[in-house]
Formats: sequence, structure tokens, C-alpha cells
Amino acid sequence: MPFYLYFLRRLLFVIPTLIGITAAAFFIANAIPSDPINTNLPQSALNNPEMIAAFRERWGLDKPPVERYFTYLSNLVQGDLGTSIKTHKPVADDIRRFLPATAELATYGTLFGIAIGVGFGIISAVWRNSFPDYLVRILSLIGVSFPVFLLALLALQVFYVNLGITAGPGRLGVKLDDPPAVTGWFTVDALLAGQFSVLGDALSHIILPSIILGLYSSGIIARITRSSLLEVLGADYIRTARAKGLSERLVVGRHALRNALIPVVTVIGLSYGNLLSGAVLTESIFAWPGIGRYMFRASTSQDFPAIMGVSILIAAIYVGVNFIVDILYYFLDPRIRLA
Amino acid sequence: MRGSFLRKLPALLLALVLALLISTTAFAQDEKVLVIGHAESTDSLDPARGYTQTTGIVLKATYQTLVTFPAADASSIEPELAESWTVSEDGLTYTFMLSADAAFADGHPVTADDVVFSINRLKAIKGNPAFLADGIASVSAVDASTVAITLTAASPSFLSLLPNSAFSVVDSEAVKANGGTDGEDDAAEAYLNGTSAGSGAYILESWEPQVETVLVRNAAYKGAAPHFDRIIIQNIPEPATQKTALEAGDIGLALDLTSDQISALKGNADIAIASGPANIIHFLLMNRDESIGGPVSNPQVAQAIRYALDYEGYKALWGGVAPGTNLAVGLAGAFGEDKAIQRDLDKAKALLAEAGYPDGFEITLDYPDFSFQGVNMNTNAQKIQADLAEVGIVVTLNPGDLGTALDGYRNGTQGFAYWFWGPDKLDPEDFLAFLPGGKVASDRTKWLAEGADQSLLDLIAQAKGELDPAKRIDLYGQLQVIAQESGAFAPFNQPDIQTAFAATLKGYVWHPQWLLDLALLSE
Repeated sequence: MPFYLYFLRRLLFVIPTLIGITAAAFFIANAIPSDPINTNLPQSALNNPEMIAAFRERWGLDKPPVERYFTYLSNLVQGDLGTSIKTHKPVADDIRRFLPATAELATYGTLFGIAIGVGFGIISAVWRNSFPDYLVRILSLIGVSFPVFLLALLALQVFYVNLGITAGPGRLGVKLDDPPAVTGWFTVDALLAGQFSVLGDALSHIILPSIILGLYSSGIIARITRSSLLEVLGADYIRTARAKGLSERLVVGRHALRNALIPVVTVIGLSYGNLLSGAVLTESIFAWPGIGRYMFRASTSQDFPAIMGVSILIAAIYVGVNFIVDILYYFLDPRIRLA
Repeated sequence: MRGSFLRKLPALLLALVLALLISTTAFAQDEKVLVIGHAESTDSLDPARGYTQTTGIVLKATYQTLVTFPAADASSIEPELAESWTVSEDGLTYTFMLSADAAFADGHPVTADDVVFSINRLKAIKGNPAFLADGIASVSAVDASTVAITLTAASPSFLSLLPNSAFSVVDSEAVKANGGTDGEDDAAEAYLNGTSAGSGAYILESWEPQVETVLVRNAAYKGAAPHFDRIIIQNIPEPATQKTALEAGDIGLALDLTSDQISALKGNADIAIASGPANIIHFLLMNRDESIGGPVSNPQVAQAIRYALDYEGYKALWGGVAPGTNLAVGLAGAFGEDKAIQRDLDKAKALLAEAGYPDGFEITLDYPDFSFQGVNMNTNAQKIQADLAEVGIVVTLNPGDLGTALDGYRNGTQGFAYWFWGPDKLDPEDFLAFLPGGKVASDRTKWLAEGADQSLLDLIAQAKGELDPAKRIDLYGQLQVIAQESGAFAPFNQPDIQTAFAATLKGYVWHPQWLLDLALLSE
């Protein structure tokens, strides 16, 4: 199949998925048996019918859900995500503000995760059933099952309070100004602006949360890498490669790993999507102003426009990441090219 | 590829370390800065729209109101922008004379027009705090420095509403120049979220939602100059993280620590802890409907239970004070410990015998399985059980899920129950909820106005309508005596609220209205 056809076919799946997500998010959010006035108006204002009416009218809650849904869709097509009830700001602006923080953290976290996970996975598979393998398997089990909340607090206590080698909560020390916004990633923006002190401060803030996030994904990545690599290492062509007298390093590095990476890429994609859609706990503990905390606040206050906006965003992220993964398959797996 | 990256790694690490070194030396500043760690709840910094704890703290620092409360409680009404005021004989019109000193941050004086604009704007926008202005019929400028507010009905507690940040007086010229109106088409919220237009000790420099709020000293402020040049309220949503930042010395004050986190900080010489009674009262409710309350519906039994509780014991658990009645200590006229009931087991037993229960009785205590501001209600319930066992009352504990228990409480179906209450308004009038005709007494305890002593009802009506502050206090004093003798409630503890901060920080005072006055902090 030529690349453009493959690309178009994958792209076509994206549109109905996104529309489906808007409908699901909208009607689930509306089905919650609780009135948003309870979470958004002060108790004493609930006795005042005029204020309740003003609130419903302001947020369009006086109209039937179906009508609101189609109004929402037609606004959405024009790029208008509505205004958040909680922040009183356009949802699109809120997302623009909070997403880069999450994206920066998720990317660093995933890079850590890949570095540790793939490395450990290879060690584990190559030295199967020996001490390094057991060690890696235990560590990755801990990585997957240890509560992020506890791990993050422990890390803060040790590296921030006791040793003082990393910075604490937030993206940047409160006494520093944000670097001029280009990408919204403080590390990149500081580098672009040549502000090395800001870069250093941003790095020392991002290192702990990204390692915490990375450890979590590395557990899964290591396990998948191990099992996938083991399967490949048992294949005939690897025996052939060994029989040709290739060094073990070439056998594993060039012949086995490439094929073993296909399921690993899938898992990395899913885990990246997961982190991009916001890691609520990590963001809360590190006071990271990201999309996960924004979504959490929106859900607990039944802030419909924000819930919808973030749901669509998360869906788009997953669809986007999977789309990229599909495209990667095309290059990693020649059978797709030939099919 | 992998190989080349690995070869470059040491160089990258070196660059990182260098950058870190540079960063630690970058900010040496002369100005006095305080960083506060706080779980930000700001919805808006527009006084007519915002109604959250964080909003209250920021607006208290950046704006002023006509009248205010004392620094530590709500026991009286004090002048702020208004230097004096009069009340018309019918109690409907309040006339405020503005102080000639009051000036906005750019130096021009606060006028009656600014007050009129601010209050009309609050009403017109119908935002979250607008309900506070429900009782205001109209507001007008008598002259440049005199404002008249007319109410829809006489309300002696009206002045106690005015210290709320919703009544912050904004610079009408600046707000109008930035899209503000006192109609429904107001568009000044974005402006007021970016800077303040007030006359308070601080000016809002910036608010980056969910990140930080930065305040700088207002050079034109007429009151005592605050100590800090700059105060940064950093959003740290997780209390455990606030604790680490306080220990690391990055923040000087942590506003949201839980009681066990505070206990863990005791003994740390770098950290100080302030505690003082908050305004939450924990109390027992005894239903007056015999079919619901059984023995506790008898006023003598209720009185016996008040004498049987070990008030000092609850204080040992949670600190705070033993309140005299359900009128929270700190509000005007409240009975403090000097007038509170003291434990007297003999008297309690005698009262039970008189009521026909010489050997006590068995009863079930309903309460929510819940902790509020660090106070574990289960612990208190067990102590209540032990206290009452000493006079022969055998209590079976019935903890319930908060939502379910609340239903029973609000519908008045609980006979003997343990609840807590925080005042809806910082005025003795709040206490009327616990007397016949009031919300808690009538709806939840069936202590109804019908059948109540006429002299009590007259006294309640008198207290509601009395405009003279001294006479009001006297009337509420009489009502508190009645509640202590024949009431349907047994308030037993008003626990402390605790806050931790750097040992060098001075001037921290918790306040029931604005929580924290930043202008009082120093080091």
C-alpha cells in the first residue's frame, strides 16, 4: 500500500472518533444527577431565584440539552470552545495556558521512561533468568505498582528538603520571571532566549516530577520490551544471525531490537498519551499548573464547557498519538508497506 | 545514534550543572518578599464576581470597605473608608461619612460616587457574592463624601455584611475606563483580574491562575505601611507539598496544612505554629419532639447533659474554647468561657432524677463519620459516650455517611445527634438559628415557635429589631442565658485552627471574615 493511501485511511478514522467523543462527553456530563448551581453558587445564593435564573441564563443551562449540544458543535466548528464557568475565561485560552506545562512534563517523563524502560528491558531479556533480570523485573513491578502519590512525596522530602539538590513545587522559582513565551515550554523558551539561569531553574523544577512520571511508564515499557525481545530472540533468523558469527551486540542491537520494538512503540504511545492528558496526582503534588489539574477542577465543579474542551483535547491527543504510532508501524514493519 | 548521544552525555550534564549554579546566584533582591503557599481557590479578583477564600485574602489586601472588623475577630464594627455613620430612626437608611484621607493607589481621593458605583455594580452583575446586597434597596451620593444606603427592611445586622470583600470600593473612573459599568453589560472583569483598582495596603501586580498571585506595596496607602514590599501567593494545591516547601524554606507561610502535618512540624525550631479558636462550634442536638427525641426531648434532661459533658477534655483534644452557647466566641456579645457551663456530675444526676430518670436511660447518637478542620467526629462521639456513661446514660454510637446523615439532620428526624456549625453571618443574629423559629431549632430540632414561651418569643423579636448596639448585646445576653437553662443544644467545643509559618514571620492572625490580613505580617 502506498504511504499516502495508508495515511489517508488512518486520517479518515479520526473524524467520527472525535464527533463521538463530543457526544459521549456532553451527555455523560449532563447525566450527572447533580445541579451545577450547587457547586458553583454560594450556599446563601441558592435561596435567591433571581441569581439562579441569572446563572442558568449566563451559561445556557436554561435550554434543553440537545439544543445545547448542537449549539456547542456549531461553535466548535468555528473554533469556539466556550467560556469556563470556573475561571470565567475562554476554554481555548485556558487550554493554551495549561497544555504546554503538561506537554513539557509528559515529554521529559516519557524520555526518562524510554531510556530506563527500554534499557532495563534489554538487560532483562539478554540476561534472562539471571540476577540482573530478577532485579529489573522486581524494580519494574515496583515502578508500576508503587503509589505515585507516595513516591512523589518521598522524592520531594529527600531530594528537595533533605538534600536540597532539586527545586520544589511549581515550574519556576517564584522570584524569576517566565521566559518570553514561544513554545510555552520553559526549558525550551529559556534556551531560545539565552536565559541560562532560568533554564537551570526550570530544569531543576522539572527533573523530579518527570522522573516520577518516567518511572511509572518505564515499568510497563521494560516489561513489554523484555517479553517482546525474548520472543524475537527465539526466532529462526536470530539463530541464523548468530550462526553467521555476528557479535551478540549486533544480533541484539541491529537484528532483534528493531522487530521487538513494534509493541514497545505502541505502549510508549499509549503511555505518552496518558501523560499528555494530564497526570492529576503528579501535577497536584508538584504544583504543576497543567491540564490534569484543570480537568480535575472542572469535573468537581461541573464546569461543562471546560469538561467538554478537555475531553475533546484528550481524545484528540489519543487519536493523534495513535495516528503517529500507526505511521511509525508503516516504517518499522515492512509487512504493512507490502500489504 | 545511541552511541553519539552517550558520548555527548557528560557534556550535557556539565552544562546542566553550570546552569544550576548560575541559577542559584541569580536572584539577590533588596526588597522584602514573602512567599505564601496556598491551595488557590480564586474564581475572580473582581469584587463583584469573586467569592472564594483566596479571593477574600487578596481583596482584603488590595481594597477597603466602608466599615470593617477588629484585626482578630468580629466582635465590633470599626470605621475604614467611612469615618462615621448614622442610622435613621426606622432603621432603613444608613448614612456614611467618608474619611478625607482615603485615596486610591494613584493618589486621587475615594468619593461617594465610587461607593455608589461599586455597590450598584455588585447588584447589577448578579455574580456569586451579589446575594449579600439583597437587602439593599438603593444607594446614593448625598455629597462628595457622604453616602446613603437604603434597605428594603430594617436589619440590625446589616453593618456586619459590609466588611465582606464583595463591598470593596473600586476606583470608578479606572473601572469605567476599562469597560466597567454598573449595568449588566459590565466588561471589566479581565481588567480587575490583572490589577486592582482599590485603596488597600497592596496593589495586585499580577495573577496567573493556578500559578501565583503577586501583590506589591501601595505607596499611596494612608494606613500604617505594611512591612513586605512584595507578597507572592504561590499555588501549591497539595498540603503535603506545602509542608515540604515550608521545611525547605521556600515559603514563609503555609495556609492549608492538616492537623497531623502541623503536629509533625512541632519541634522544628525554624517553624512556628499559631493556633486560636476558629468559629466552628461542635454541639449536641436534642430533639424536642418526644416521638423522635425520647428522653432528651425533656428540657431537664437536656440541661443534665450540658452539666455532664467534660468540657476541659474536648479542649485537651482539640484546643480552642468551651463556648458559652451556640453563639461563636469572637462574635459580638458571645458568652466566653467565663460564662460557660462547667461540668457538674452531681447536678446532672439530680436533674436526671427530677426528670424521672434516676438510673439514666439508653439512647442512640447520630453523627457523620467525618473530620472537619482536623477534628475527628468519631473521637468526639466516643468521648461523649464515655462522659454520659458517668451519669448513667448509655449511648449507642451511630456514625453515618455525611450525605445520609445530613439528610436526617436537615429533615429533623434525628433524636440525639452530634453536629458542627459555622456562622452564616458574623453577627449575633446568627445565634437566632438556635432559638425557636430559627433554622436549626425549628426545622432540625422541632423546638418550635408554636408552644414556646411567649416571653422568649418577644425577646427574640426584640433582638431582631433592636438597632442600638449596646441594647442588642444585652438582649442577646438574655437569650444566651435562656439557651443555657432550657435550650435544646449542648455546645461543647469551639476548636482551634492551626497554621504553620517560618519562625521569623510575625503578625499572623486568623480572621473569621478574611482569614488573613497580609498587611499585618512582618518579620
